[in-house]
Amino acid sequence: MAYEAVIGLEIHVQLSCTTKMFCDCPNRPGDDPNTNICPICLWLPGAVPRFSLETLEKATLACLALNCDIQPRSAFDQKVYYYPDLPKGFQLSQHHMPLSRGGWVDITDENGKPKKLRLHHAHMEEDVAKLVHETEGRTPISLVDFNRAGTPLIEIVTEPDMRDPHDAMAFLKVLRTQLRYTGCAECSMDQGTMRCDANISLRPHGSDQLNTKVEVKNMNSIQHVGNAIAYEIKRQTESLKNNEPIVLHTRLWDPEKRITTFMRGKFEGPCVPDPAVTQILIADEWQQKMASKLPEMPHRKVNRFVGQYGLTHDEAAQMSSERELSEYFEAVVELGASPRTVANWMATQLLPTMKEHGHEFATLPVTAQRFSGLITMLEKNEINSNSARSVLFKLFETAQSPEEIVDQFGFRQVSDTGMLRVIVDQVVSDNMSAVENYKNGNKKSIGFLVGQAMKLSQGKANPKRLQEILREKLA
Amino acid sequence: MQETPYTYLDSSPSPASTDGALSGVSIAIQPNMSVRGWPTAAGSNALEGFTAIYDATVIERLKHAGAQIKGSIRMSELGFGLAGDTGATVLHNGEVDGLLVTDTMGEARMTACVAGNFGFKPSYGIVSRFGLIGLIPSMECCGIAAKNIKDIAGAMSVMAKSDSRDLSMPEFGAGLDTPRFDRVFETREPIRSCGVVKECIDMLEKDESRAFGAAMARLADRGLQIEEVHLKDFELAREVHNVIGAVEASSSTGKYDSVRYGHRAATAKNWNDMYMNSRAESFGVLLKSYLFQGAYFQYENYNAFVDAARIRARLLSQTEAALERFDVLLLPTRRAAFDPSSAHTINTVYDVFSWTLIANITGHPAITLPHMVACGDTDLGLQLIGPRFQDERLLSVAARLADLDMEAHHDGL
Repeated sequence: MAYEAVIGLEIHVQLSCTTKMFCDCPNRPGDDPNTNICPICLWLPGAVPRFSLETLEKATLACLALNCDIQPRSAFDQKVYYYPDLPKGFQLSQHHMPLSRGGWVDITDENGKPKKLRLHHAHMEEDVAKLVHETEGRTPISLVDFNRAGTPLIEIVTEPDMRDPHDAMAFLKVLRTQLRYTGCAECSMDQGTMRCDANISLRPHGSDQLNTKVEVKNMNSIQHVGNAIAYEIKRQTESLKNNEPIVLHTRLWDPEKRITTFMRGKFEGPCVPDPAVTQILIADEWQQKMASKLPEMPHRKVNRFVGQYGLTHDEAAQMSSERELSEYFEAVVELGASPRTVANWMATQLLPTMKEHGHEFATLPVTAQRFSGLITMLEKNEINSNSARSVLFKLFETAQSPEEIVDQFGFRQVSDTGMLRVIVDQVVSDNMSAVENYKNGNKKSIGFLVGQAMKLSQGKANPKRLQEILREKLA
Repeated sequence: MQETPYTYLDSSPSPASTDGALSGVSIAIQPNMSVRGWPTAAGSNALEGFTAIYDATVIERLKHAGAQIKGSIRMSELGFGLAGDTGATVLHNGEVDGLLVTDTMGEARMTACVAGNFGFKPSYGIVSRFGLIGLIPSMECCGIAAKNIKDIAGAMSVMAKSDSRDLSMPEFGAGLDTPRFDRVFETREPIRSCGVVKECIDMLEKDESRAFGAAMARLADRGLQIEEVHLKDFELAREVHNVIGAVEASSSTGKYDSVRYGHRAATAKNWNDMYMNSRAESFGVLLKSYLFQGAYFQYENYNAFVDAARIRARLLSQTEAALERFDVLLLPTRRAAFDPSSAHTINTVYDVFSWTLIANITGHPAITLPHMVACGDTDLGLQLIGPRFQDERLLSVAARLADLDMEAHHDGL
């Protein structure tokens, strides 16, 4: 029998808030252990949680970016369980009345067709403390770092709309892009600011039943999510073929062995309304204010870039893949450079060089102004592409303008016909056999001759003009 | 030698300031209220050795107003019931002018009733909870027992103001006035009518009923208009409080993990064992049975909790409706047959607080007046419940009812 996979995801996203969710402690879990703590996030006796408005704002923005319906009334519940990373005995989460319901994400499926993946709901919850297990030494010890306790998260729960690893991976990529656009979250799976659990079940093709699912955790990249799902589909298919029943439980992805292993039975603990944190009432007005803070979202931006700047869809998608990148692109274009050249140079030169230098847009020394200067010179044939690449490297290293760099290092392109003729004459007389070949019909030899001329000009000659003059001369 | 009624007595000199609103007023507290540097074990081994690291908002405000915080009394474990609580003794001996009591089921009123004092539970939410160690967050508030209403009003006018550290307080402003306890004795708005809760009267024993009826007759004689009023689901208040209270208590005590403070079991195989042993050794039998109930309603029978929450909403709307017609609702404070200090089981604790629970469930302000409902040797206390957030009006009505009764006694003599 052929089976179809039914996949749903639960994604935890850490919100980039200044403070924790219920106290004023800095939201910097990575600092030295137990430095960002207070009586509230330690839940010392007498502590009263103070829900932060910033968390609500960022969570709302994130939900709006995913087309969710913000609920006019939501509330916190206590997810009760005992574990050393949660010494107050319950996690504040929204179970009965989540911040938002519904919502969707548009992806392209494996066959290139558009597909809408629905969300069930998204809610806010606090993160728990971090356990550090020290196994070396005579007595293994476990330490608790409370820096992460109470940091704000949203949990996004999808409908089981995904059918294969591609869907899940595409979903995560789009989700990540959209959330990053809002500036509310970094969504880095390897840093742990985005965590994804996958629920996978199988059913006969054509059926619409929902069968017992298995939950898989511990994937710390989008690729791992895809791999884990692929493995799990294979594993469950084999189980079914061997007539072994699928039992509800949680498995761990082992990225080394590339398999999932049994972790524990699925446990749903009690979840009761929290009496200490007030209910959250959201007025239409406030929601509209939040909606007006939403930036132009990527799919709209792609369409606009195609229409307004004449980019191809792929170019537009690439220039919209990150909000800062798209804003940089537009800033450069607004300074007068032609959009497709900018898109091309950003994609093939600027981004790889940034990566090499370990720069983000926020720290990029090549401002839009400087990059636009470079592209403009290229477009005006004042420099050729070779020189432009060299200038780009210099832009990372010095504070000079591209014009100053071109002048100082003599990158200016030689387009002067008289000077180019002198070079061409020299090349022709030095390479008689290539000239002969060309004249005998081997038109490819022109490339060699242009190359020699470029070398002679120390890379500064205008290659297009060179070729024209050469053809003239050898005609 | 008798055991001291205090767990801690402040040895620092009395406040030097003499011009504060509460200068010269001495107040005792329970050890579940944070005073910086004081042991704050809330009557539980689970908090053994815990020292408060800051002042609760109420403490800060009382100190600022010049009150002397004399010390902490002994209290029942985490304030569940009054067994072992020495508040009534301290009040009865006149050792302090006032006593702060966490009122979760009626403890502030009951303590006052036993000591022959006035006891007040404010509207839910008007006193900051910051720094108060609670058990049932949706029911409890910081109440006060004192010799007279003036002292209650004085302390409340200092304590009951909004606090940015407790966001669960109502937003005073446009639609809701900050309570003006300083005006308790200014308003002379006539008392319209008082409602006697029929469902409560029906549940009284004969002698209780007779005593309460006599008090009502005396007040009616002095011209007070008294009518019957119905709170249809009054009988269910006990179950509602029990189910919701146990669930909340179970969560609230979850944080006492015996790791950072409190009693830790001497031996354990692993962390889970350590938690279990420590908690098993820390909590007393009464509280433990309550926590078991809570765990049961959290997990095994969540529907009962949902039902309780629904009935609670009904009780709230029934009480609100009744208070549209009446200035106050009248009922006794305590039951003659049940001694608060010897209630050691969940059932007897709930028996003791039968008539006070309702105000904790609905969040209404309530006050008990002494010496008005004598049932044999027992003062049943006259309990008044007023509209929410009109606490000063309730105190004003209470003061006048006390005066009326006094007049009646004088005339009778």
